[in-house]
Amino acid sequence: MRSAILTLFTAAIVSAQAPAPAPAARKAAPAPKPAAASRSYKTLKYPPMRELKFPEIASFTLPNGMKVFLLENHELPLVRGSARIRTGNIFEPAQKVGLTSIFGEVMRTGGTKSKTGDQLNELLEGIAASVESDVGETSGTLSFNTLKEHTGTVLDVFKDVLVAPEFRQDKIDIAKTQMRGIIARRNDQAGGIASREFDRLLYGPTTPWGRIVEHETIQSVNRQDLLDWHKRYYFPANVMLAIQGDFSTAEMRAKIEKLFAGWDAKQAPVPPLPAVSHSQKPGIFLAEKSEVNQSNFRIGHLGGKLNDKDYPALEVMADILGANGFSSRLMKKIRSDLGLAYGVSANWNANYDHVGTFTISGSTKSESTVDALKAIYGEVERIRSTEVTDQELQEAKESTLNSFVFNFDSPSKTLSRIVNYEYHGYPKDFIFQYQKAIAAVTKADVMRVAKEYIKPENFVTVVVGKSADFGTPLSSLNMPVSKIDLTIPEPKTATAKADAASLQKGKQLLQKLQAAVGGADKLTAVKDYMHVAQVKVLAMQGGGLQVTQTTKIIAPMIRFEQQLPFGKIVIYYDGKGSGFMIGPQGQAPLPAPAVKQANEELFRLYPTLWMSDRDPNRTVNAVSNDAVEITDKNGNYVRVTLDASGLPAKVNYKAADNSGNEVEAIYSDFKEAGGIKLPHVIKVSQGGKPAADITVTEYKLNSGLKPEELGQK
Amino acid sequence: MKHTWILRTAALLAPLCLGAQNLQEFEKRVTEFTLANGLHFIVLQRPEAPVVSVLTRVDVGGANDPAGRTGLAHMFEHMAFKGTDTLGTTNWAAEKKTLAEIEALYDKIDVEKNKGPRGSKETLESLQKEVKAAIEKANSYVDKEAYSRLISLNGGVGMNASTSGEATTYFYSLPSNRLELWFLLTSQVFKNPIMREFYKERDVVREERRMRAESNPQGKMVQLLLQTTFLSHPQRNIIGWASDIENLRANAAEEFFRKYYVPSNMVMVIAGDVDPKEAKRLADQYFSSLPAGPAPPRVITEEGKQEGERRAVIDTESQPMLFVTYKRPNAFHPDDAPLAVLAGSLASGRTGVIYKELVEQKKLALFATADANFIGEKFPGAFLMYSVPGVGKTVEENEKALQEIIERVKKEKIDEAVIRRVKTQIRAGLIRGLDSNMGMAMRLAENYQLFGDWRKLFTKIDEVEKVSADDLMRVAKTYLVDSGRTVVHSHAPKKEDSK
Repeated sequence: MRSAILTLFTAAIVSAQAPAPAPAARKAAPAPKPAAASRSYKTLKYPPMRELKFPEIASFTLPNGMKVFLLENHELPLVRGSARIRTGNIFEPAQKVGLTSIFGEVMRTGGTKSKTGDQLNELLEGIAASVESDVGETSGTLSFNTLKEHTGTVLDVFKDVLVAPEFRQDKIDIAKTQMRGIIARRNDQAGGIASREFDRLLYGPTTPWGRIVEHETIQSVNRQDLLDWHKRYYFPANVMLAIQGDFSTAEMRAKIEKLFAGWDAKQAPVPPLPAVSHSQKPGIFLAEKSEVNQSNFRIGHLGGKLNDKDYPALEVMADILGANGFSSRLMKKIRSDLGLAYGVSANWNANYDHVGTFTISGSTKSESTVDALKAIYGEVERIRSTEVTDQELQEAKESTLNSFVFNFDSPSKTLSRIVNYEYHGYPKDFIFQYQKAIAAVTKADVMRVAKEYIKPENFVTVVVGKSADFGTPLSSLNMPVSKIDLTIPEPKTATAKADAASLQKGKQLLQKLQAAVGGADKLTAVKDYMHVAQVKVLAMQGGGLQVTQTTKIIAPMIRFEQQLPFGKIVIYYDGKGSGFMIGPQGQAPLPAPAVKQANEELFRLYPTLWMSDRDPNRTVNAVSNDAVEITDKNGNYVRVTLDASGLPAKVNYKAADNSGNEVEAIYSDFKEAGGIKLPHVIKVSQGGKPAADITVTEYKLNSGLKPEELGQK
Repeated sequence: MKHTWILRTAALLAPLCLGAQNLQEFEKRVTEFTLANGLHFIVLQRPEAPVVSVLTRVDVGGANDPAGRTGLAHMFEHMAFKGTDTLGTTNWAAEKKTLAEIEALYDKIDVEKNKGPRGSKETLESLQKEVKAAIEKANSYVDKEAYSRLISLNGGVGMNASTSGEATTYFYSLPSNRLELWFLLTSQVFKNPIMREFYKERDVVREERRMRAESNPQGKMVQLLLQTTFLSHPQRNIIGWASDIENLRANAAEEFFRKYYVPSNMVMVIAGDVDPKEAKRLADQYFSSLPAGPAPPRVITEEGKQEGERRAVIDTESQPMLFVTYKRPNAFHPDDAPLAVLAGSLASGRTGVIYKELVEQKKLALFATADANFIGEKFPGAFLMYSVPGVGKTVEENEKALQEIIERVKKEKIDEAVIRRVKTQIRAGLIRGLDSNMGMAMRLAENYQLFGDWRKLFTKIDEVEKVSADDLMRVAKTYLVDSGRTVVHSHAPKKEDSK
């Protein structure tokens, strides 16, 4: 956010505003003095700042409505460009949060109509070029970067990706898998947790500004969603294209006009952004992290926008309090005086287009958590109640004004600032207005805005740490302390709403199924169960593998034998939480995930699953005229679809690998064994893709299996 | 077909010529000079904007820390921005006296602590009270963060420093008309460093260790990886042991400075809107009186021969990660270029073998890559590969997949097209890097200090260009061997899912 602010500065003013000692001529410095005290920096005289050159930017609008900005820069033989698209994750449907992350990734990796993503990779990386796509909170970008001599090739790819991305399914799958991994890892870094939870609390966890991606919300994202998103937002009048580098403006303009001549997609204008409208109850929010010896904290509340009248004064205030690196009050107090932190900062994070946050952030060793927080609250109170010193005001203002020039140290900064202003509807001279306003800020302004805008009574304080080591408890700060639950919700399956009627109907459907397979009596009479199957693995990892599986069950005991090309694997579960695995490499106790999977298998065991209406721990609910959902309190879930005769034609459940994928098993070739109709051909798919073809060669019910037989090593 | 071939070759050769042109063009903008005391300057003119980046690189790092004082190089780095006798103090004479008192008290404390269980607890406690009071007294003379405030006031940005195993670097950028301020302050610090607020800063450094190496699962693993890969070479511990840091002394830091911060052991780079004649004049004026000193001692301890695979594991509730290293020689070895191309072939972009196999095809990893230089260039180091397993995927599966790739590159030649791509990217990377004053300052300093000539930055490209598929197979066979392998990973969460 700091960078967003820095980009607001300009230059012409820098020379005008240069601080006092700026004599016209450069004086020769005095000869070095020998020994004694060093020469003071105060004796230095600086030459005036060299006049800044402003780069010339050509801008025009194509007939199709696309705005173009061109900037020649011949220093290096490179050409770089970026299309800015009015879109953003803020427009995602609540049930599909994460859609734009997948979109941004697959827009490039999924290739175009004419080339696959892999072909693009080879082509671009072979000439050391790149084309990359991304969607952020309130805008999307598609950028390219190339050596000058490949400009034509890369522009063609760039246009192709912008106009005709293909979103191939294999890359969608990879992007979703990656996303699940990112979700699973989101609690690994304490600093990341602190920032995320702080923002969620301030903006509201269910609002577009505060919600986060979950397993459940990416689960339903599909290719059509991505195509629809592209169609809705990626049309010429919704795009600003900025290109800079080693080219002639006239030639580049001709090239661009020709390249995009045929692109005439049209859509309604993108609606305005939703307002930020959350009010969080203040207090301390603790997220426990047992593996750390340091607490990460965030303190603050909602803030404002870049074009607020008081923004310049707030910037000066934040600089003095904690935004200006080592020089700030917080760093001096918490780091230098108390040695309590490596870093601590306070920022008035304003945005172009929506309310930002006032955030104090840092970390300290677990034992000094409360001391550090107290010291910080003290500094906040001080800046609200006492005027800052003349020196502090001068230092804050001059460091801003004197570093102005760094906003102009490369032409690309100027170009992106111009595009930013245009995109957000800010005046072209915004930076000059801002600069003037900074110069005018007084000590009284600083105290006024600190009082008016910084409200300690509204502070939300997020602490991520190991509270057992805090020494002084958080409760000693006299604010309500609540716990943050970091549990990552598992992907929920779309369980239908249950009411008396649907429950009644569910029972009827299940009883119809019981009758079709052989009757409730036959089903309840099953004491032991065995089947032998030939499994042809279709999934990518073991593609083509043929496996013989034997399953023996005396509920809740399971023995599972698998004959693989390289040897036999035996898995035994004792029904009480443990068991063993024996493979070619030896024997091992049954790991926890396998225990979980065994319990899931037991839940789905053919004869007992159909008798779920008699199990008080299970719920049977009709979800349509031919489908029933069976659930239990452990989160187990099965949806069974009946065929016209009442036989189970299709069974859906959640994959055991926690991938969020659904497994679908299609049953056919029913034959009787032990008085019960059983499927002899089962086609299994996972996440919509074929996983295995199973042919059952033998079923045996009530064959007199012995418990010791199952547990044999 | 022939026609196509010519076209392709022409296209591929283009960036090569470009690189050569660049060195010629670039040389015109570089001025070098060495002062009589041995201090070397490199001046790069990039007059496009009125700003300048300044950098000092000292040929000393964590590997030079004395025994029992690990972390000292890093600790001194923190002291270099504490000011001078005229900047950062309200009363230097009184502050100086108090700093000496603090040292005397710590000497007494050390005497008492060294007695072990025979020491007097009462004496220790009273000394600690005294030293605490003395520190507070010294503190009362300090004009807090005066150095950084002054730089900031003058429009300076990006002020920072870093310590690696082999080097310590100090840098910031200024509006170019303020360049003399850097000369003045830097010369004063290196003529007379002041251990201002040393014992407060020691706490800050301890906190930095908590942040980087103790409360961060990745940092924790990298520490273990360093300390398993290297058993004797001191680059195994750059940040310092916690207990060493807690007992570092200001007088030891001063001694360290005197030994290593001699002019011939430092290089200074000024990049941006700078007149080399003016730079030379200022360098003479401010640095010629910096006394020359004897060349500092080299790092004596070498890493012994590794004679078998090493493994280490971290138990953590965080999601698992896998690191694999193989011992390799330092960057001065002729195999440096083939190893760089090998790492590029395995890891660069979306076409790198590791990404394609582990992430895309086998879907085992969220992210997986390789790096030719772990953890620097000066000392014999390691070739690194690491992988971040995907949900439900194990480190074992990932390790196996990486292993398969390693075995393959030892038996089969890597595709020419892949090698060509990597070479092109290395060249283009050089050109893209020319865009930044600070980036160039860092690279020029590094190449000068390691290889004795900044041009190595460009001539390296020629060495890369000569690498063949046979070379890649040969270095893979030579270095990626079981006996040189170290595997460090964390355990999957004990809970059965990713809660």
